[in-house]
Amino acid sequence: MISATNFVQLLFSGLAMGAIYALTAKGLFIAHLATARMNFGQGEFLMIAAYLSMALILAGIPVAVSAVVVIAVMGALGWALERFALRPLDRFRSLAGGQYSWVLTTMGVALIIQNVATLVWGKSSQYSPPLFSESRSNVIKVFGVGVFVEELVVIVTALVVVAFFYWFLFRTRQGRGIQAIAFNPEAATLLGVDVRRTVTLVFVLAAVLAGISGILVGPIVTVQPHMGLVFTVKAFAVASLGGFANPLGVLVGALIFGITESFSNYFNSKFGDLIPLIIVLVLLVIKPSGLFGEAKADVR
Amino acid sequence: MRRVHFVGLLAFSTAIGVGSAQAADVKVGVVQGLSGPPAIVDFGESYLQGIKLAAKDYAAKGGKHKIELVVYDDEANPQKAVSLVQRLMQNDKAAVIIGTVSSGNVLAFAPIMQKAGVPLVAGPSIATNITTQFINENPSYIFRCSMVEKHQIDAMLDWGVKTFKKIGLVHSTTGYGNFAAKEIADGIGTRGTKLVAVEAVAPNVNDLTPQMLKMKEAGAELVLNFHESFELMYRPMPKIDYRPRVAGNWGLSSLKVLQIVGSQELEGTVMGQALDLSLDEPKAFVTRMEKEYGKDFRWPVIAALGYDAMQVVLKAIDSASAIEHKAVRDALEGVDGIKGISATPAKPFGLKDHECLDKEHVFLGVWKGGQVVRLQD
Repeated sequence: MISATNFVQLLFSGLAMGAIYALTAKGLFIAHLATARMNFGQGEFLMIAAYLSMALILAGIPVAVSAVVVIAVMGALGWALERFALRPLDRFRSLAGGQYSWVLTTMGVALIIQNVATLVWGKSSQYSPPLFSESRSNVIKVFGVGVFVEELVVIVTALVVVAFFYWFLFRTRQGRGIQAIAFNPEAATLLGVDVRRTVTLVFVLAAVLAGISGILVGPIVTVQPHMGLVFTVKAFAVASLGGFANPLGVLVGALIFGITESFSNYFNSKFGDLIPLIIVLVLLVIKPSGLFGEAKADVR
Repeated sequence: MRRVHFVGLLAFSTAIGVGSAQAADVKVGVVQGLSGPPAIVDFGESYLQGIKLAAKDYAAKGGKHKIELVVYDDEANPQKAVSLVQRLMQNDKAAVIIGTVSSGNVLAFAPIMQKAGVPLVAGPSIATNITTQFINENPSYIFRCSMVEKHQIDAMLDWGVKTFKKIGLVHSTTGYGNFAAKEIADGIGTRGTKLVAVEAVAPNVNDLTPQMLKMKEAGAELVLNFHESFELMYRPMPKIDYRPRVAGNWGLSSLKVLQIVGSQELEGTVMGQALDLSLDEPKAFVTRMEKEYGKDFRWPVIAALGYDAMQVVLKAIDSASAIEHKAVRDALEGVDGIKGISATPAKPFGLKDHECLDKEHVFLGVWKGGQVVRLQD
């Protein structure tokens, strides 16, 4: 039987990891929404952002300035990904298998980023300093359990980003443009939506989200060149669970995943990482469109 | 595959020699884990740094032979390790091979080398049975200069059982982690007690809060850390308000762990050791390595064992009656007069002992004030 204190402790751990998965998965979600494509290197984008943030903070640059620089660099990286790795291959989409070229190119970019990180920062694990406190032992009490400030910030950031995405997608012209492209790119063009610019925008947004995740996740986990794949896989599982439908679905999917992971590791750590993935599989068998997705034909 | 080998050869092949009075080139093959999981790379690169320094010293002293190191990266992959060893034996004609980090890789290629009659000095692999399974062969070609898992676990359990009432274990679900867990379970059983909690953890986890909560619940005063991500265990301790004594794999002595975890959090952590940094010679060795490799030097004990392994190999090559496998093997068995940086004795091997480190050479080290010193309590 689990004590109340341990229950709350595990809940916070699960929420913090779930929030990271949510931020990473939102990058997959927004790119998929507009283009039916994703960046399979989303985890590597997170990794490089964590390294950049670590390097800037260790160089004595204030956290806020570092965060702005990292987000700007990640935005540029997202733009470069779309401009140089995805768009040039669009003209081959009509050829056999051409519509899947983005899988290879995004994976290729992921490998390049991994190798660049290895060359610059080495193959070993690295320490990323805490963002909001002097030492990693700085803990605050919430509902009687200890929580790192960084964990709370991650949770709050995930909620803020969901709110922002709701507003952006449903209340702004660019957001409606993304939805129009998702429905029918040709029709969107006729309605005056700049499809190319909007597609670039979603990949910039996806990269920025990976950047925010990277900045926040660095001090919580150990930074190393191979850390990205696990986040990509889990973010993909989370986005599938949410149904690639709306920002709230992604958040709920991520929090379910993170909390399940935390509790399953407590009850049986040998299979702790496996159980959430099995739960995702079972839920997808029951509801293939995800928890918040609607079963409908893709008309694109 | 072929290209990777070629690049590896270009990148790492190092010819070390002086003067024309030297005998013909002797190739020493090295297979190490130089890419892949960070813990593997830290082991592999550190051991290789020691090997290279020993080769450099040998050349500087005007060694009898011109030594060529042929170094390959097995990427912690057993299939690749086997093919690289075959390449070293058949194409490169290495007189002797040193390697590698993963015990599973060594256990995959050691039988092939034994059958082919090519001497192997294993390291820094740690599995207990690497040399013992061949020791009754006539003759055995398998030697090792590394920590032996059973020796460090025995030392740790002798101390742990005497000092603490409740001991827990966190280990990884890799081949290494499961192997260590079995040795610990057996060892603690023979000491008439049992572990209060055992947590097996996947190798790629990011958070050990759930597992450490279980340790806290079980009241473990000592937690044995046999997970390859050595630093993970320390992370949740402040937030769950639980500070047990930690003891574990010799990997905990890495300067990388110190850098990640921090001196204060690591204080009192105990691990298997074979390098006494309170002595002058190891201290001088560390200073030299820091000068040679700068911030890339991160693991004194592993580098020291790499250095000693190469010293042993070079001495055997010098004293062998001929540069051929059987003669080098025989010479390895008879090597004497080694001035080891680690606890490697002057005469490391014998007819029925192919380990540089025996039980009496392994001791417990402890982090104290940012340094690993010999455990006194």
